[in-house]
Amino acid sequence: MSNRKKYWTNKIIRTIITAIGVTLIAFLILHLTPGDPARIMLGSYASEENLEAVREKYNLNEPLHIQYWAWVSSLAKGDLGTSIRYNRSVNTLIKNRIGPTLVLTLTGLIISVVLGVVMGILAALKRNSWLDYLTTVQAIFWISIPSFWLGILFLYIFGLQLRWVPIAGMVSYTSVILPALSLGLRQEAWFARPMRAEMLEVLNQEYIRAAKAKGLKYYIVVTKHALRNALIPIITMLALRLPWIIGGSVVIEVVFSWGGIGSLLVNSVKARDYPVVQAILLLISIAVVLANLFADIIYTWVDPRIRTEG
Amino acid sequence: MSELLYIKDLKVYFNTEEGVVKALAGVNFEIVKGSFHGLIGETGCGKSVTGLSILKLLDNNALIEGGEIIYKDENLLDKTEKQMQKDFRGNEIAMIFQDPGSSLNPVFTIQDQIQESVKMYKKASKQEYRNIVIEELKKVKLPDVEGLLDKYPHQLSGGMKQRVMIAMMLACNPNLLIADEPTTALDVSIQAQFLQVLKNLKDKFDMTVLYITHDLAVVSEICDYVSVMYAGRIVENVPVRELFKNPVHPYSYKLVHSVLGVKTFLEDLEEIPGSVPRLIDPPSGCRFHPRCEEAIDICKTKVPQLKKIGKNHYVACHRR
Repeated sequence: MSNRKKYWTNKIIRTIITAIGVTLIAFLILHLTPGDPARIMLGSYASEENLEAVREKYNLNEPLHIQYWAWVSSLAKGDLGTSIRYNRSVNTLIKNRIGPTLVLTLTGLIISVVLGVVMGILAALKRNSWLDYLTTVQAIFWISIPSFWLGILFLYIFGLQLRWVPIAGMVSYTSVILPALSLGLRQEAWFARPMRAEMLEVLNQEYIRAAKAKGLKYYIVVTKHALRNALIPIITMLALRLPWIIGGSVVIEVVFSWGGIGSLLVNSVKARDYPVVQAILLLISIAVVLANLFADIIYTWVDPRIRTEG
Repeated sequence: MSELLYIKDLKVYFNTEEGVVKALAGVNFEIVKGSFHGLIGETGCGKSVTGLSILKLLDNNALIEGGEIIYKDENLLDKTEKQMQKDFRGNEIAMIFQDPGSSLNPVFTIQDQIQESVKMYKKASKQEYRNIVIEELKKVKLPDVEGLLDKYPHQLSGGMKQRVMIAMMLACNPNLLIADEPTTALDVSIQAQFLQVLKNLKDKFDMTVLYITHDLAVVSEICDYVSVMYAGRIVENVPVRELFKNPVHPYSYKLVHSVLGVKTFLEDLEEIPGSVPRLIDPPSGCRFHPRCEEAIDICKTKVPQLKKIGKNHYVACHRR
């Protein structure tokens, strides 16, 4: 029991350290990148006086460690800062934008996991059949296509030519289909292949033979005995792929004019809007770190060998 | 005498990267209803393959080349996978495996895994199932049964797992239980206890047992009849007393005499020269001839057939 307590304390402390590290790196990368936010905001003909006034207002003339400290101390109060570009609280900006991003990434995630797991199972059950080869081919296909190009292709076919779904923005519930597919299909390949391998491995285990020897129906053997075991490593996979799904959503949001965090990030980077970019990077890193923590929790929940050690 | 299971000229081959392995090259024996039938032979001679063939649970690369497995007048080799699952596996024939550790599913509780066997033929409430599972676990003489229900396999010792495995298979109510070296993974001290439990269960529930082993001591203790297997063929089918009193086939003779305790003097302990042949390229004729002191020319060319030499006693040897 104390062992487990120690394990979790350890885990949580490491999570916090990781998050702090990320804020530091995000801050440094941004501020060391060439480009003056005041200049970008006011344009190339702005007078030196005006530029100086803007820099003064956003503390851009202070040394880096002072700026970092100022940022971190307001973070501690829950204040993400003020956007240079929009001159609005970053908290409000993000609050307005996070909904669409959650909808998009979660739909994409569900598509990728459900499709990937189902395809992996089918491929393993029908090993070396045309179905197996088909799942391999589609996996390679999706993985080889850059998601922005896939997005544009989908827009062209289903939006412009067939007119099944709106081509851009968030105008109806069907709007999410294309961006979520562009996001999910690419990630699906990452689940289908490991799922197939896991399933094949598990199906060769003695306990599967024993389950059959009991006279259990084939679908119970597969969906209960095999699947439960094969899914365990997929949970790790899920946590590992989450950063890619979030990263992919940034590109997809731009392609589909999806008003979420991703497109906000791209625009803010272009404008060197430091507070916004820093806040988003922090948010994403927290999401990833939390996802890993959750994966660990789910892991112990589905695998009794970890839960009930000793 | 009435036989429950009759295996006739069973041939099973395996496709491997090295070539075709002729694992079973004509297996013939019958199991008398209500008997404890031993299947004995060296490691790799095809004992387990024979057991798995009966349930048709062989690996994917296995090919049943020919023969018949007659169970209650029905040829199992004619049955589809679906028919095997519905009509034979579990409710007629069940099997316990060598390694109880890997034969229980690691992510389900003991109760869940035994309950599954019951659920197939009985609808009951949650509490009733729980009681049934408790009864099943008591049958195999497990201590603290209630505490076991919610445990997972990795929390039990090897001996306990093997008993849970039996309980799980017995909960299916089989007529024939195939036990594939069930004591291999157990400590010697637990082996005897385990065998006693198995024997009692067999008598109590009027089962027939096919006991696969390489351990002659175990055979002498519990079996009624024995089939001696060598390199994919049965060389002798014999009542157990006969085997120890009068082993007829040269291999059976060597086998019996290579076991400590059968002869009193250590000097008399014999070993069988040579080793088990590779079944990818087995010897011609009688597969034992390269290791047999009595081999003559015909042994190298012609496969000896089983012939009757006594009551329930058959032997496959050109010299007998």
